[in-house]
Amino acid sequence: MNALSLRGVRKVYRRSHLGRVTETVGLDALDVEVRRGEVFGLLGLNGSGKTTTIKLVMGLHLPTDGAVEVLGRPVPDVEVLARIGYTPESAYLNRALTGRENLRLFAALSRVPARGRETRVAEMLERVGLSRAMDKRLSEYSKGMLQRASLAQALIHDPELVILDEPVTGLDPLAIKEVRTLILWLKERGKTVLFSSHDISEVERVCDRIGILSAGRLAKTMTQDEWRGRPDALEDAFAASVARTDGVGEIKL
Amino acid sequence: MGAILAVFDYTLREHVRRRAWLSTALFGLVLIAGGLVTSVLAADQRARMMLDLGLAAIEAIGLVTAVFLTVGLVLSEIESRAVFLILTHPVPRWQYLFGRWLGTLAAVALGMAGMALLHLALLAALGWSAGGYGLAWSCSLGSVAMMSALSLLLSLALTSEAAAMAFAGFFWLLGHFTAEMSFVADRSGSPFLRGLILVFARAAPDFARLDYRDALHGGAAGGAWAAWAAVYALAYCAACLALAVQLFEQKEF
Repeated sequence: MNALSLRGVRKVYRRSHLGRVTETVGLDALDVEVRRGEVFGLLGLNGSGKTTTIKLVMGLHLPTDGAVEVLGRPVPDVEVLARIGYTPESAYLNRALTGRENLRLFAALSRVPARGRETRVAEMLERVGLSRAMDKRLSEYSKGMLQRASLAQALIHDPELVILDEPVTGLDPLAIKEVRTLILWLKERGKTVLFSSHDISEVERVCDRIGILSAGRLAKTMTQDEWRGRPDALEDAFAASVARTDGVGEIKL
Repeated sequence: MGAILAVFDYTLREHVRRRAWLSTALFGLVLIAGGLVTSVLAADQRARMMLDLGLAAIEAIGLVTAVFLTVGLVLSEIESRAVFLILTHPVPRWQYLFGRWLGTLAAVALGMAGMALLHLALLAALGWSAGGYGLAWSCSLGSVAMMSALSLLLSLALTSEAAAMAFAGFFWLLGHFTAEMSFVADRSGSPFLRGLILVFARAAPDFARLDYRDALHGGAAGGAWAAWAAVYALAYCAACLALAVQLFEQKEF
């Protein structure tokens, strides 16, 4: 059974300025399926549609065309969000709150029962290594600490599906290793993980399957068997599948 | 209900930490200045002057604080993208909006309560002992609530804090002349002009309905008057919030 499926999804952004309407195609006839219990990586260049795909799944965007289904329910659906944990590419947290207050807020929003909520918050802060900083305001946190706080809010309600948007971008090597360990730990516990990245080496280490996005379309899907033990297999497939759409040319030497 | 409480709680904390209570300190300065100016008057005149000055200052400072806090209430979270994380949890958008508004109103009400305590202490020192203070304070809070609900609606409709603030000021001004506007509309020969004036007259909060001064001095400030004033303020807030929710439901992030 699929944890997630997008069928023929098209997303067009319309902007109007002084009566002039411009359209940008974010996704075009996208078909993606993520099976329950697998780690699926969405690979693509900047602007290829990774974040748009995730926002559609989370109900932050509405598809122009096509159908999105998450954990057996069509989205947007507020109820299904209680079963998903999501970490955006940056830690978009309210900096006026402390680490503990922030996690308490998301525990309440995620319907973690009031009885035992405090224990769960303390455990999660311990798990992500923020127990000593939990009473500091988030405005005093470093980037790495904010990323951990963001991971904690995604996992506080023990979700079935975890979605990580560019989870390793901008992190130091030690933090990247910890995120990798976390993804594998989630997989061991039977969780479905969808994560987006343009870091090929990270994706090939943790994913069961990958989908390569290019210009809003799924250009290729691969399973672990196709790249395991074959150095550069994923990188070559990626280079062959993607096309730059951001108007940037190659570096000429 | 849990989500509304959680959003209410963090909004209130946020305002307290961002020093919304400084409005009370500003009020203290107004009282000191008023005390100095009225020191030449006889005791009973001085108490009456300080009563009127204090009540007017509480309402004015409350209004300014509420409008300033509300126009940026949701727009700032959209800009910082903190709203992303909130809405990727099982929180219906109306609950988020209502919790934010309620938290802001509570922060302003706390400030107004602080000012009222200072004011009452000063009036007691001047030997003032007339009733009706609670009614006057409640009417001011009603006006503040209506303006903050309107400011929230304007901020979502105009998506600009500066424009929302300007329009809030415009409607606040209109709100003091609704009876005059209806009078002009009745005498207008043009159906279009009549309709236009009536639309503005109905859209602006009718502050005359909460004018405790007229009611107190005219002897009309009974329970029925207070109940109708409360019903009007609640209905106005509900209408503004319902429209704000409609706008917010359509937003993509």
